[in-house]
Amino acid sequence: MLLSIALTTVGALAPRRPAAAPSPLGRGDSLPKGLRTVRLPSPGNPLVAIRLLFQVGAADDPAGKDGLAALTAAMLGSAGTQRRSWAEVLNALYPMAAEIQTYGDKDAFVFEGTVHRDNLAAFADLLAEQILTPRFADEDFTRHRQDALDFLTKTLRGNDDEDLGKQAFAALMFKGHPYGHPTAGTVSGLQAITLDDVRRFYTAMFTQDRLIVGVAGGYPDDFPETFAARFSALPAKGKPRKRLPPAPSKSSGVVIVDKDARANAVSMGHLLDITRADDDFYPLYLAGSYLGEHRTFNGLLMVELRQKRGLNYGDYTYVENFIQDGGTTFPLTNIARRQQHFEIWLRPVAPQTATFAIRGALFELDRLVREGIPAAGFQATREFLLHYVDLWAQDPSRRLGYAIDALVYGKDIASELKARLPTMTKVQVDRAIRKHLDPRRLSIAIVSDNAAALRAQLLSGKPTPMTYDTQDTPAEILEQDKAIERFPLPVTPSRVKIVSAGVLFEK
Amino acid sequence: MTSQKSAFPFPITEKVLANGLRIFVVPYDSPGLVAYYSVVRAGSRNEVEPGKSGFAHFFEHMMFRGTERYPTERYNAVIKAMGADSNAFTAEDMTVYHILAGKAALAQVVEIEADRFRNLKYDEPSFQKEARAVLGEYNKGSSDPLQKMDEALCDHAFAVHTYKHTTIGFLRDIEDMPHQFAYSRQFFDRYYRPDNVILLVVGDVTGDEVFPLIDKAYGPWAKGPSRPPVPAEPPQTREQRVTVPWKGASLPMLFMGYHAPAFSTQSIDGPALEVLAELLFAERSRLHKQLVLDEQKVETLEGGGGRHVDPNLFLVLARVKQAKDLAYVESTIDKEIASIATKGVDEKTLGEVLSHARYAFAAQLSTPDHVALVGAEFLALAGRLSAIDEYFARLGQVKSADVKRVARTYFTPQNRTVVTLQPEAP
Repeated sequence: MLLSIALTTVGALAPRRPAAAPSPLGRGDSLPKGLRTVRLPSPGNPLVAIRLLFQVGAADDPAGKDGLAALTAAMLGSAGTQRRSWAEVLNALYPMAAEIQTYGDKDAFVFEGTVHRDNLAAFADLLAEQILTPRFADEDFTRHRQDALDFLTKTLRGNDDEDLGKQAFAALMFKGHPYGHPTAGTVSGLQAITLDDVRRFYTAMFTQDRLIVGVAGGYPDDFPETFAARFSALPAKGKPRKRLPPAPSKSSGVVIVDKDARANAVSMGHLLDITRADDDFYPLYLAGSYLGEHRTFNGLLMVELRQKRGLNYGDYTYVENFIQDGGTTFPLTNIARRQQHFEIWLRPVAPQTATFAIRGALFELDRLVREGIPAAGFQATREFLLHYVDLWAQDPSRRLGYAIDALVYGKDIASELKARLPTMTKVQVDRAIRKHLDPRRLSIAIVSDNAAALRAQLLSGKPTPMTYDTQDTPAEILEQDKAIERFPLPVTPSRVKIVSAGVLFEK
Repeated sequence: MTSQKSAFPFPITEKVLANGLRIFVVPYDSPGLVAYYSVVRAGSRNEVEPGKSGFAHFFEHMMFRGTERYPTERYNAVIKAMGADSNAFTAEDMTVYHILAGKAALAQVVEIEADRFRNLKYDEPSFQKEARAVLGEYNKGSSDPLQKMDEALCDHAFAVHTYKHTTIGFLRDIEDMPHQFAYSRQFFDRYYRPDNVILLVVGDVTGDEVFPLIDKAYGPWAKGPSRPPVPAEPPQTREQRVTVPWKGASLPMLFMGYHAPAFSTQSIDGPALEVLAELLFAERSRLHKQLVLDEQKVETLEGGGGRHVDPNLFLVLARVKQAKDLAYVESTIDKEIASIATKGVDEKTLGEVLSHARYAFAAQLSTPDHVALVGAEFLALAGRLSAIDEYFARLGQVKSADVKRVARTYFTPQNRTVVTLQPEAP
């Protein structure tokens, strides 16, 4: 077994599971009864990737049953079937070195796997069996529900401040919204879920009209059709999707998550009223990339906060929901959302400089909104993206993920950027920035072990000067620091709350 | 897929320059894309001087701080204009710099990479700022109890070898890094030399396209001075046990390290340990079924040896649901190891393990970047890509008797260090 603990490899980028070359958008068409399929043949490839995307997510969790979608997905993707226990399924998958990966988000869950074409038929049989004939065994249910509870109460609250900050930020920004709880659920929601709830949810939600079947790689010509046809055994139509409420337009304030922590993880942002389906998304994407493409060194925040000031390990910006795909630099596919948001992520900052770092990010965002993107920054980012998009979808599985996302949004992000960037103008980008980004609307989550003092500092209105313990900081940086240290924070006493990590995600 | 097929089924072209720099080119069907890897055969294993732990990793950061010709801003601008995915990582035995870019950028990639490996130049203020970014990286990981457990495991399992510290280093050394400017130059001078670096280029390229560019850019690079030896670790003589306290929430954890042999394509022990790891800890293993699925006392169970230049540790990790079960979980793992040491493995199961290993490895070779990542590890360990096929050939020769023997030989109490995490919060 390849040990995935990955303990002692550190660096700007840990070893990764990479991606590959750009791909044309797959052929999306329909079988009888409206089942949607995506096919991306590459006959020479020894690997075949399969993705089953159900447009069912945490936003579909019934009131009081937060986590039901995720638990149901786990009972399909990682539990027994009517024919085999989960241990027997694992035994069958093992000689092929195949896995059924299950993951999801607010509006979708995915079951996917990549196998050598030698094993395609056997793997496809297993995957179909998982989805079509779940066992819904008590022991699987108990295990998955306890794992979800342990994830919320132990791992998230105590083992990963960066993820905790992101989840706390999402809960703050989406308060009262169907996206407002972790995809895994809440403690009370999970405790209220019964195996019968899972059975009913499966029947009502995992239906043909919510399914997209995707196949990519070196598969036989007739495989996609015969494989997809098996899912006509699912109910044709399920419960209609809930309409999302309108996005809150104002800041939800600041939440300080109180826990033992060496440093302060920070996430901030606000909701957007556009997605990849909208024309404005693409100039806004360029603006986000200028501020800081995920895990690259060229973004403005990365340069200003890390490179020039040594404040932390990394600083990035996103104009849609972003989850890193494994150890790669690139986004996970198939987490499309109907409601998107803008987000800035500051990796943990030493407590004595955290407020300065937050002010630094606000300072740069405010300047971008007021002054627009610098002409040189616009040109360089446009040039960057024109090439960088070619790296997003290299292997069959990621190509398939992007093709399915294109079907969901009606637009393929890489193709759209490649087509639009050559004629995109700075004026278009500036207009999109002014229309969609607003520092005053930011909600902010901070993980801190000195929450009361941090709250007082945020509310004091006093400057938070940067004191370097390193030598010879250039004069122009020290001069700019004077403006950053007193940059106004979007805070009022009633909107800066302290929450103990120990009670987060209870309800 | 049969066991006779090459595990690394690509044509390989190799060249060695007069200064000792070795270059491997692997054409791969990825139209328009090239992965360019620079493998430095130095990692935290080479941090032999006291107070300098974490320096290989720190130096990885400094390599992005520019040269006279390409100062940081210009280097970043060039990478940005390429639209490249460029980064680096450090491990015990290697530091690897990688760029994934369009083929059209290849000549410029060679130029900027050769330039920074030959002519890196940074001033003390930027060195100090980067030292604080490294501290930020340590801080990033500090909320993960495995970082602390790993520190404790390495520190107790090794007495004199540099595997005693983790790759990111002791916190006290990281905090002192801003004061080590002079040492940083010495580190560069010592390890960033053509006879200690290997280039690997994978993708839409041929050797004929790559070699002239590399000849020109790296040819004048001078060989380096002799490098200090790494102290050999004496055999461990008694079991070490450590409890790591943890403020706040966490599952309790059991983390064990057994001393295991160095990477070799000659010895059967490494491959036999890889088979044993599968038998013990794969998701379909008896242990997994008992502890994770049936009894549900363990959330995750993992184990394996990794491949290292010097003897390192075979690791076992169990995230346990309740602290009261830590001892039970440990004894259950011990019993299963003892059972395999006595009974070995039947032919059918062994065949399935070997099938799994080959398909799992083939699945890793799905992009040029990933082929390069796999190749880089073997280049750092053995200096040649042929080591991949040699290793897998050896893996195919593993017999039940080998598995029994390595289970008996390495999995003894006096050869292990046991770290447990005891969360203070309920």
